Amino acid sequence: MAVNAIGMGEQNQSERDKFENELKRIIKTADESGIILRVIGALAFQIHCPKFGFVQSAMGRAYTDIDFAAYGRQTKQIQGLMTRLGYKENQEVFIVSGGQRAIHENPTTGLHLDVFYEKLDFCHAILWEGRLEVDSPTIPLAELLLEKMQIVQINEKDVIDTIMLLLEHPLGDSDKEVINIKRIAEICSNDWGFWRTVTMNLEKVRVLAQGYSQLTSEQKSRVESQVNEAMARIEKEPKPLGWRLRARVGDRVKWYKDVEEV
Amino acid sequence: MNKLVRDLMHPGLLSCRPNATLGQVAVLLNQHHVHALIVADRDGRPVGIISDIDLLAGEWLSADSKSLATMRKLTAADLMSQPVDSVEANLSLTEAVRQLIEKDISRLLVTDKGKPVGVISLSDFVASVALEEKPRRETVADVMANAILVCREKTPIYSAARSMTEAGWRSVLVVDARGVPQGVLSGKDLLPFVKDGVDESLTVRDLMHPALTIDVNASLREAADVMIQKHYHRLVVIEEKDPEAFPFGIISSFDIVAAMAKPDSIWQV
Repeated sequence: MAVNAIGMGEQNQSERDKFENELKRIIKTADESGIILRVIGALAFQIHCPKFGFVQSAMGRAYTDIDFAAYGRQTKQIQGLMTRLGYKENQEVFIVSGGQRAIHENPTTGLHLDVFYEKLDFCHAILWEGRLEVDSPTIPLAELLLEKMQIVQINEKDVIDTIMLLLEHPLGDSDKEVINIKRIAEICSNDWGFWRTVTMNLEKVRVLAQGYSQLTSEQKSRVESQVNEAMARIEKEPKPLGWRLRARVGDRVKWYKDVEEV
Repeated sequence: MNKLVRDLMHPGLLSCRPNATLGQVAVLLNQHHVHALIVADRDGRPVGIISDIDLLAGEWLSADSKSLATMRKLTAADLMSQPVDSVEANLSLTEAVRQLIEKDISRLLVTDKGKPVGVISLSDFVASVALEEKPRRETVADVMANAILVCREKTPIYSAARSMTEAGWRSVLVVDARGVPQGVLSGKDLLPFVKDGVDESLTVRDLMHPALTIDVNASLREAADVMIQKHYHRLVVIEEKDPEAFPFGIISSFDIVAAMAKPDSIWQV
């Protein structure tokens, strides 16, 4: 997944089918091999949003690659799986990232896969430990939302995916078809920087959603109320001393990591 | 707890101005040996409290030169806690304790009819707990210091001397990796180096002297006997059944003298 890749543009159904069918093939083979491989990125949003999945294509959101979350302890099994499925790994990326990321290319189809081991670590780190067993075939909804909300330079494709998620799923305190806002609030209350980026982006989503002509006024209101509820829940979570101290320094010191393109 | 806040508070305010830099606040905290300062405006009105924990943000967030430059420009006003929680001097200590617990804070500004007159902090309560101790003088365990200064044999002499100075201790117990006593380093061991200076390569192992031990249940008379016979100022307190275990504490000649000086000791009747 290229974080700043545009990911926007016309994409016909057969092209979308190519990504979706390949994803199904990989997930099926991984499951049969006992490998925990969870989908993240645009395809994960599509899988988890059967009712509002149309929003992606309606707003010109295109698939560019297939992204996965996985545990580092299964690295070797995943490398073997990808080889069996016809992919070639870019060794340099794996070595430079210290084994935290792998890029696999399929020379026949031209498809490109990203595997993020143990965590997604761009502007802020989202840890997988104990979370990849919670949902299938994607990461849990809370992590899907955080995946988008951790991007400081958020772009349109991320906003579209987030709008779709907020339209499809209510907020709640569990992971069963609801966005676990309790978990998000806890993560934000332990890290001021993460709180800063997530709340900044939720606010952007709230504002930008009002400008999409593809959304009905009811859908716009729904996005707004979901964002308001999420913000209220995050604000209500008690903040420890470290958070409060970091908040006093605020934006004067950079609160996120810069993202390097691969 | 029948005492009033004014009985335990530190009278007077140690303060800094809101525009004091973190470096200046650090100097004041260090000079006065306190954990916090009241931040007061031009008219002396408290506007916040800045503590050593707040100051740690300076080190915490100075990950690179740009951040360091930013943090160096921050002032007490940027990092202080506000508003200042306060308690009236004539209220009971129970009220102060309730506030400290409920608000999860370490100190309160003490006011007299709204006018600031002092500060009461956790340290004051710790000191009061120590004073509440019922005087007993039967055994070594009754008088010894349970909390002791400890270091390893490889500790540089400079580091040990600094720790002794900061803690106000005249000795440090030297232990191995498993906590077994190896010796004691005292001020006396360091005296010869005052004149000629300390070789920086020296470690505690080079200067320490053997530790004399005494059983935790021994009487004060027995402790005094060992000190006099061996001309030692301090003994490492152990359990004789398990001499390899980490010691209970240290008893010094000063501890015995302090027990003798207590108002209700037999020496003061």
